[in-house]
Amino acid sequence: MKADKSGVLTGSHILSGNEACAEGALAAGCRFLGLYPIVPSLEVSKRFLQRAPEVGATFIQMEDEVSALAAVLGASWTGKKSMTVTSGPGFSLMMEHLGLGVMLETPCVIVEIQMVGPGLGLPTRPAQGDIMQSRWGSHGDYEIIAFAPSSAQEMFDFTIKAFNLSERYRVPVALMSDAYVAQLKEKVAIPSADQINIEPRRYYGGPRDSYLPFKRDEDFVPPMVDIGQGYRFHVTGLTHDDRGYPIMFEECQEYNVHPLVRKIRDFTDKIIDIEEKNTNDAEVVIISYGVSSRASLKVVEQARSKGHKVGSLKLNTVWPFPEKRVAELASQVKAFVVPEMNFGQVVQEVERSAYGKANIFFLTHGDNGVEYAGDILAAVEEASQMKETKCGITEWKKRSA
Amino acid sequence: MNSIIEAIHKGIEKSGVDRKKISIPSDIPFEPETVKSLGVDYFQVPRGRAIAFGSGLKLGNPDLKVIPVVGDLMTLGGNHFVHGTRRNMELLVLCINNFVYHKIAGKSVSVVTEAFSPYSTFEEPFNFPHLGNSCGAVYTARWTALHTSELAESIAEALHKRGMSMIEILAPGPSYYRYITHLDSELMQFYFDNSILKNNEDPRNVAITADKKIVVGKFTDKERPTFIDSYNTQHKKILGDEFTPHGPVFDKAGGGNG
Repeated sequence: MKADKSGVLTGSHILSGNEACAEGALAAGCRFLGLYPIVPSLEVSKRFLQRAPEVGATFIQMEDEVSALAAVLGASWTGKKSMTVTSGPGFSLMMEHLGLGVMLETPCVIVEIQMVGPGLGLPTRPAQGDIMQSRWGSHGDYEIIAFAPSSAQEMFDFTIKAFNLSERYRVPVALMSDAYVAQLKEKVAIPSADQINIEPRRYYGGPRDSYLPFKRDEDFVPPMVDIGQGYRFHVTGLTHDDRGYPIMFEECQEYNVHPLVRKIRDFTDKIIDIEEKNTNDAEVVIISYGVSSRASLKVVEQARSKGHKVGSLKLNTVWPFPEKRVAELASQVKAFVVPEMNFGQVVQEVERSAYGKANIFFLTHGDNGVEYAGDILAAVEEASQMKETKCGITEWKKRSA
Repeated sequence: MNSIIEAIHKGIEKSGVDRKKISIPSDIPFEPETVKSLGVDYFQVPRGRAIAFGSGLKLGNPDLKVIPVVGDLMTLGGNHFVHGTRRNMELLVLCINNFVYHKIAGKSVSVVTEAFSPYSTFEEPFNFPHLGNSCGAVYTARWTALHTSELAESIAEALHKRGMSMIEILAPGPSYYRYITHLDSELMQFYFDNSILKNNEDPRNVAITADKKIVVGKFTDKERPTFIDSYNTQHKKILGDEFTPHGPVFDKAGGGNG
């Protein structure tokens, strides 16, 4: 399916990451925004609200982030593609309904512009400290999809992808951006509507009387219906059967929740989006995502010109994690260098996937800075001289420090 | 609880609203087969979030009639209620009050509190009709599980109100039934003995206290622009004819073309 023309602002624009995200949402067909305003995500809502009347979209500023995501889930059941936008403290409040969204299998997109935490942290300053929260923040077992854009263009592109995957797999999808990418003004090329692929909602087509809201197709995804059509369905956040009736038995937990996990895990090859550069002959691979990957790509060029065999693995989707590919690379390379704007989150996934076959250098920038290419380069040079493989994560520190 | 479902059923029937346009988000579990008999779409959401979820349903599809059923005395969802009422979101909130917070003397009720709290309770409850009224609800009423026909009338009436309507229903929490089987008849007797009908009473005077009778009746019935009305008016004022209104448009006389 192609995008609806009314939402697509075709052409070349200078947009901030936040504005590009709003344009991406409108292009993807998002027609409902429920939010509670928080810096540094304000421009998403501002742009969306400005354009909403033109495209027939609706919005509401709710009383808190809890209700913002609740309203988004509700609106999604009426057949509208819906999203919310927030930052760290708001994301914490949304965890209750993130779990509900997973359990009700409600497609929606949560845009999170990460800032420094915990608690009130350093508001408006960039960080990547909520990556694990997006995966594990709500209680219970679930799988989720999360994107990590590194530029305004990717904010646009990944927002569309996020909507497509959320409709395809009926799961809330997180767009884990950060304050740096969100505020960065860059050129964004918006293609024409017929060049944008849109995943339509999977609707139930059978007879009205035999509709079961959680009767799964072979790929574990149940087709949906909009409310108000006379299907008279029952949906609950409790463990439920195909009818959506609560069933309080362990067997039903397995029957209900295991597919929630499998519908993502069994299709990771289709979901995972990674970009590799010069990894074929690499001895050191930099694994990065979001704004850190901009520095990493620069370092690959610099290191290559100095004669080091260095490659880059950029995670466009951080969840699900590309553990197969990292494991493959681990048996090929001497070391991974993982720069992150936190005190160690994705690096733990790298360590798990590498299984002790490669050294892991971790560059922390949890102190609200973006990695300097110089630091990453120094770490890469040190890593390429390693003779033996050490277990665990080596936290790389500046030599001068 | 079943008597309340029955009242909802009768209320919907009397109101003449198309059942397929009604959806019930609820934070208390109804018996699925019972709610199925209502012939509406039903969502069970986390505690206290029915009003927030319902706001999304209503905005997503303004043709719907949304009836959030909330329990827990709105401890969790209190802010959603206050703000939903302030912005006059078009919802009919049924607040099931199960007395857990009420310090009413009397055997039946103390059994309820003892089931929950061994030393009974000492907190003051909300005066819900007053809270709703002061936040700007267009319709407030209070009934007990005994007053099913009045409740049904009230639901039928409130379903045609444009804006946030609120009906407080005094009823035992369904989970207590599992432990206290004799409660039903005793509580009905308690409601019968202790409630007093006062329609159009000032909501300030209807607080439930230990020494006074429980005032039931309809307390508020007024008109006020809904959230969607204000949304459309404001955009129309700024954007003029370029703006396509969201949802059915109602003129000032109260009639509608949707």
